[in-house]
Amino acid sequence: MEVLGPDRVTDGSAARRLYSRDGSVIEGGRAGPVCFPETTGEVVGCVQAARAHGRAFVPRGAGTGLTGGSVPCDDPVMIVTTRMNQILEVDRGRRVAWVEPGVVNLDLAHHLAGSGLHFAPDPSSQQACTIGGNVANNSGGPHCLAYGVTSAHVAAVEVVLSDGTVVVLGEEQGDSVGLDLRGAFVGGEGTLGVATKIAVRLTQDPPKVATLLLDFVEVADAATTVSAIIAAGVLPAALELMDRRVVEAVEPFVHAGYPLDAAAVLIVELDGLPGGVAHEVGLVTRIGSQGGARTVRLAADDAERDRIWKGRKSAFGAIANIRPDYYLHDTVIPRTKLAGVLDEVYAIAERHDLLVMNVFHAGDGNLHPLLLFDSREPGVMERVLAAGEEIVRASLAAGGVLSGEHGIGLEKRRFMSLQFSPEDLAAQDALRRAFDPDGIANPLKVLPTGASCGDVNALDVVPDGVWV
Amino acid sequence: MIARSSTTGRIGLRDDALSACVSCGLCLPHCPTYRATGDERRSPRGRIALMRIVESGLAEPNAEWLAAMDTCIQCRGCEPACPSGVPFGELMADTQAFNSGTRRLPLRLRLGLRVLGRPQMLRLGTRLLALAQRMGFFRSSGFLPGRLPLRLPRRPAPAEVDVVLFTGCVMDTWTPHVHDAAQRVLEATGARVGRSGTAAGCCGALHVHAGLREEARSLAHRVMAALPGDQQVLADSAGCGAMLKEYGDLLGTEEAHAFSARVADVHEWLVERLDRLTPVGGRSEPVIIQDPCHLRHVQRVDGAMRAVLAPFVPVVELDDEGLCCGAGGAFAVLQPDLAAKVRDQKVAAIDRAVARSGAAVVVSANPGCSFYLGAAGYQVRHPLEVVAEGLAATGGQEMTDGN
Repeated sequence: MEVLGPDRVTDGSAARRLYSRDGSVIEGGRAGPVCFPETTGEVVGCVQAARAHGRAFVPRGAGTGLTGGSVPCDDPVMIVTTRMNQILEVDRGRRVAWVEPGVVNLDLAHHLAGSGLHFAPDPSSQQACTIGGNVANNSGGPHCLAYGVTSAHVAAVEVVLSDGTVVVLGEEQGDSVGLDLRGAFVGGEGTLGVATKIAVRLTQDPPKVATLLLDFVEVADAATTVSAIIAAGVLPAALELMDRRVVEAVEPFVHAGYPLDAAAVLIVELDGLPGGVAHEVGLVTRIGSQGGARTVRLAADDAERDRIWKGRKSAFGAIANIRPDYYLHDTVIPRTKLAGVLDEVYAIAERHDLLVMNVFHAGDGNLHPLLLFDSREPGVMERVLAAGEEIVRASLAAGGVLSGEHGIGLEKRRFMSLQFSPEDLAAQDALRRAFDPDGIANPLKVLPTGASCGDVNALDVVPDGVWV
Repeated sequence: MIARSSTTGRIGLRDDALSACVSCGLCLPHCPTYRATGDERRSPRGRIALMRIVESGLAEPNAEWLAAMDTCIQCRGCEPACPSGVPFGELMADTQAFNSGTRRLPLRLRLGLRVLGRPQMLRLGTRLLALAQRMGFFRSSGFLPGRLPLRLPRRPAPAEVDVVLFTGCVMDTWTPHVHDAAQRVLEATGARVGRSGTAAGCCGALHVHAGLREEARSLAHRVMAALPGDQQVLADSAGCGAMLKEYGDLLGTEEAHAFSARVADVHEWLVERLDRLTPVGGRSEPVIIQDPCHLRHVQRVDGAMRAVLAPFVPVVELDDEGLCCGAGGAFAVLQPDLAAKVRDQKVAAIDRAVARSGAAVVVSANPGCSFYLGAAGYQVRHPLEVVAEGLAATGGQEMTDGN
């Protein structure tokens, strides 16, 4: 069965190797044939070809994921959506845009610039990640504190199901009528089918934006200020925390003028009507000073604001300035417990003789502790994994949850039973089977099955396999 | 789980350069070949991952691997995008140097590069091509200017010079009017300008791209020997300027580092002396700025080019964040299909700018980009051609005095 021409499908060993990985250190199995469809019909063809050859399929966007969600297990057909990158229609009146899944998040932002509208989810990888990947992971981003995560911004999705059927979930206009299958699909991590067209909701640009940079000599003071701001009735558009190591890593790249001697900085963005923003700037400045902020700096113009954000959004990529590898967690804890849990995170890393840095969406308590290491050091992976598990347990013990926005993928399957009862997991599995009875859509992801994907459960350091 | 074995140094890549990539993928949208294909094998992240495999001795290079490397334009657009500062240009140049030792490059590339290093042969060949062009034997194919010059004027050099204009190889023979314009502008500042000429010849940039590092080194020695003294060496070709500035790294000698320190892009030099250039004034037509990769990503002096143009002409920006045009030295000849796809992206950006502004002229400070975009139907000029035309007569007077 020929679905794609020879230039858009390959089983070359180099391709199969590259498409076995995402943006993380997580290794699973090997990719099978790698396909680059350009239309919904071609995606249907890829799914049917996978089925005809008894293989699973794995959808993949830009491969910036951090939990192995698009990492293949057993030679599946890789359905790469990067060539489905057209912005099909922007309806400014109804504030909806139809896009293909391979559209890069920031490209959509640029396309909409000047129209007075934007797509609110802005993951830190937004310059590279795709809208399809945002839908699969129900991605967040700094500005999701005020505006909500991807699910709140997807009106409808055209989906190729695992039997090749094409369905549209959700409605372009209004709320979903009947059972909200759109809601179920967003965040499905590719286990419920492949998104081939997405109707995203567009949000009106705020009339006024103010970005503040607060710096602290104690991390705990910064953390306490976070909950003080929200307790005072201010809901910032974004509220981010970066600790000293992060600042040191990104400042040479962005020259944002972050204070290098601070233990932590907060980025607070306020938006709305000019009068309201001015009032909140005053309020946050006062709360920050009372909470121990040494300085509170208001970005003077868009260029300064852009530099402040560029530093924040470059953080993960800048890690190699310190260590060549990182392992990142994504737990969410109650805001009021930030200071205590951060203390624990630093202590856990120290116990395992690892460097840790923290850069995260503080406003919604979404931690991103990064454990830094050099994978060439013998035995380091065991320490990294052990520390990671302790961080997850500490977060859950504080009343938190496993994942804020990166998804579960392969990486956090083993923690699912810490958060969910067997009955909870069975209910999720039943939903999944309703979409994909044969289990060929991105199998072994999200839900713990006991089956292993490549070596992910072995927790061993394994060398790169020979290819060619 | 997890990845990297210790390197055995098969290719000879610097270990900390290779390990600086954390695979975050933030480079992807800044890579013209990934943009055109959506394929990891055509991306910086993918290419680095593939380098690692061969470097650590776990696999032999095969055709698919070589294609991943050969499809890199070496525009280095990924470098400013990388928060970890991966020196991608170095990694790719080292990889291509390794590859050149394991295979024979295509004959036309070897011949072409040899001619660049031999000014007399290049001039003779150009004359033949110019004749053939006028007799209608062939049309411009994208790597040649639309109309080659038949003969080159000889210019007497001033006895003493303040700065040296680096004239290189193809620009000197194919588009001498660009150097003339650059010289006029430099002289308008009161400087006495010499030319590197055929004694210095080719900078060797394309040889480095092709992995022919020894050839590049011998060209670098010739350039340095032809240009003793301590005057600044100014390049009006972005690619040459970037190469000359990297002689220190190419040769690794103190002398070469000292030479590189003398090199500046023409705009970089002019921006310090803008007060000496008087625009003729009046309304002028806007121009669309195309950033040559080696001006923006490597030399990072694209701001200086804008500052020099601004007093003379309204500038229109492209909205593609400096994505490569696909010319890439010999790339458009060696990888014509992929280069054309990359150029299509640039053409779309230029057309958007045209629609927005009505501008009819594109300015580019690199010969390869100019020829390749010219072949796509645009009127392309060097920024200093535009500046030279806008100089007030007093500036022109000084120029004559300077001569």
